[in-house]
Amino acid sequence: MNRVAIILTALGAMGMGEPGAHPAPQHEEPAAIETTAQGVALGAIGRRIAAASPGDVVEIGEGVYRERIRIDRPVTLIARGRVVIDGGGSGDIVEIAAPDVTVRGFIIRNTGADLDGENAAIRALAPRATIENNVLDDVLFGVDLRQSPDSRVAGNRIGGKRLDVARRGDGLRLWRSDRAVVEDNVIHDGRDAILWYSKDVVVRRNVGRNCRYGLHLMFSDGVAITDNEFTDNSVGVYLMYSAGVEVAGNRLIRNRGPSGYGLGLKETDRFAVRDNLIVGNRAGIYVDGSPFTPDRPGEFTGNTLAHNDVGVVFLPSARGNVFTANNFIDNVEQVSVAGRGALDANRFWDGEVGNFWSDYTGYDQNGDGVGDFVHESYTLFENLLDREPALRLFLFSPAQQAVEFVGRAIPAVRPEPKFCDEVPLMRPQPLPACAVVEGGGGGLGLTGAALLAAGAGVIACAAPRRSRPGRILKGATP
Amino acid sequence: MKAAAYPVPALRAPSAVSNTLTIAGRELRDAVRSRWFVLYTLAFAALGLGVSFVSAAGSGGTGLSGFGRTTAGLINLTLLFVPLMALTAGAGSIASDRERGMLAYVFAQPTSPVETLLGKYLGLGAALAACLALGLGACAGALAARGLRTDPSSILWLAGLSVLLAMGMLSVGLLISALARRTSVAVGTAIFVWLALVFVSDLALMAGAVALRLRIEDLFAIALLNPLQVFKMWSLHAADASLDVLGPAGLYASEEFGARLHPIFGASLAAWIVAPLTLAALALSRRSPL
Repeated sequence: MNRVAIILTALGAMGMGEPGAHPAPQHEEPAAIETTAQGVALGAIGRRIAAASPGDVVEIGEGVYRERIRIDRPVTLIARGRVVIDGGGSGDIVEIAAPDVTVRGFIIRNTGADLDGENAAIRALAPRATIENNVLDDVLFGVDLRQSPDSRVAGNRIGGKRLDVARRGDGLRLWRSDRAVVEDNVIHDGRDAILWYSKDVVVRRNVGRNCRYGLHLMFSDGVAITDNEFTDNSVGVYLMYSAGVEVAGNRLIRNRGPSGYGLGLKETDRFAVRDNLIVGNRAGIYVDGSPFTPDRPGEFTGNTLAHNDVGVVFLPSARGNVFTANNFIDNVEQVSVAGRGALDANRFWDGEVGNFWSDYTGYDQNGDGVGDFVHESYTLFENLLDREPALRLFLFSPAQQAVEFVGRAIPAVRPEPKFCDEVPLMRPQPLPACAVVEGGGGGLGLTGAALLAAGAGVIACAAPRRSRPGRILKGATP
Repeated sequence: MKAAAYPVPALRAPSAVSNTLTIAGRELRDAVRSRWFVLYTLAFAALGLGVSFVSAAGSGGTGLSGFGRTTAGLINLTLLFVPLMALTAGAGSIASDRERGMLAYVFAQPTSPVETLLGKYLGLGAALAACLALGLGACAGALAARGLRTDPSSILWLAGLSVLLAMGMLSVGLLISALARRTSVAVGTAIFVWLALVFVSDLALMAGAVALRLRIEDLFAIALLNPLQVFKMWSLHAADASLDVLGPAGLYASEEFGARLHPIFGASLAAWIVAPLTLAALALSRRSPL
């Protein structure tokens, strides 16, 4: 694959750097001090590591340490109390160069901001690293696993630099790190959390906020993405050129950046998207060329898509997707095809199972929970919108109804149905377990009462007085 | 009845403010007692309740909230109904006074045409505001009863902005009324203007945008001229903080102007309130009240 080769070369050039390429520390300590093999001066933590044997547990006491750390032997490094490692605003901070290293409980902050140098808080270059319960703050790259398979990144809090998004680094990056487990992390204000060429990775119970891509897969097969929450990113989860991906039980909310997808799929294969809550995104799900090969249909089941500008956007190339038992609730446009095209090659029902559509207008006379009429979507206005996006400006205006009325009344201009669901559900499926509805309903009733009281007050002021014609104008009295 | 309840005959010169308020009070009382007010209030509340119930039923009582078809439905209803209400109320006002000879009587009093106009404007405006508050209050109550968790501030914004829209349309109505000789002509013209603002201008702009391949900047700028579009965009902006739901033109507006959209929309609606009212005042001052 040509694309792979190009990206590989590009990344190689960007500095899949040798460990020796570190900048020298700024504060040289006095002479006759222990150094690493590369001749870099050792700080307090570095000396403890240099003194340790493989398998040792090295406990670090409270304090603020201003040093760069290279862990070159399989040790467990544990912070006792509040241990801060400060990078002083330049370069990387912790580098794991030996297998089976654990780094637990540190506060690591203030890396450099050099994107070319990919300044990282923790970089692992060896297999089976364990990076747990650290707080990384003001870092360009957070955790960077390079060829570090079977690693575990868990319970960390990773906060990026408050920079323009183009100048940020990735909060989390996995490069050729198969079977890694990424769980219970919070990543915020970074660029992406991204997996490159990493197979069978598990990503669960993480939170991503205010990033560019909450989670981004590139050429990573067999990844399980479950029970995560991606809120207020540009894009929640974007799967590209990957296969065998499971996306289940995630909350993808208010991802409204320039592309603004809750979940995007580009040339992805053998995927299952189940029981996710996808709310308030610009586009709930964006399907581009997926599934890529006709091996297996793309499976979308039990998801709730609500209050998105568009529930599901298909590029015309998308074919072979099956949607069953999803809730399409109150999306401004439930399903759209970008550009011209129909959705013939995708299905919104399978056998006896359809989806719930909040705009379904039919009824269920025999009471079997399935609407008696096919749910077809053909509104002239949406058809216009798919071709002329600029006309979205006229959404919600009476002119929209006028156009739709014309579309219904005059068969000659009625568009082909965009899609149909032959067995639409009458009631929504139970919301996925990840849907915890936020409170705050009481205010609406009070507001209503206040408005009613205000209206009634005006009337009460005006109405009950007897009219006194002589009092029309005070000044008129002589 | 207490003696103090009677106004002390003023030996001082009548003030413009008190004249205006007196006329406003009279206008409000007349409006509240009139059939149009009752009819409009009931119709608006009933339609609003209908929209609320249908949308809340559509979401299946899942309790999920957000900007969606419910808010959109209420905005849509307001766009259709409020201009019709305000335009016809305004158009009927001065013209019918003139027809009944009331205008000549009022002008015979020591009051200026401007005071009369402002008084009528404020009185009718208060009546319309009461009508809208009742209608939207009922909708909010209905939505709350259906378990919808919409943010109450969006309903408050909608109420406030619909009052602003009503004031703008009332201003246009009064201008029509000041120019027309007869009530029937005034009301007919008002309905024509309503049709033009609600349907014709948008449809023409849609056609123009496609046929002339208008740039989105221009499309947005032209849309700012229509008070209904401004009301709609302002409601969305207030509810959602971003206009990107309105596609490329909305995204352009949000990115280009951001928080400055509030004063921009405000200026447009203010112009629709002030300009027709000024013209109406000029027309009334120049023409014979007969």
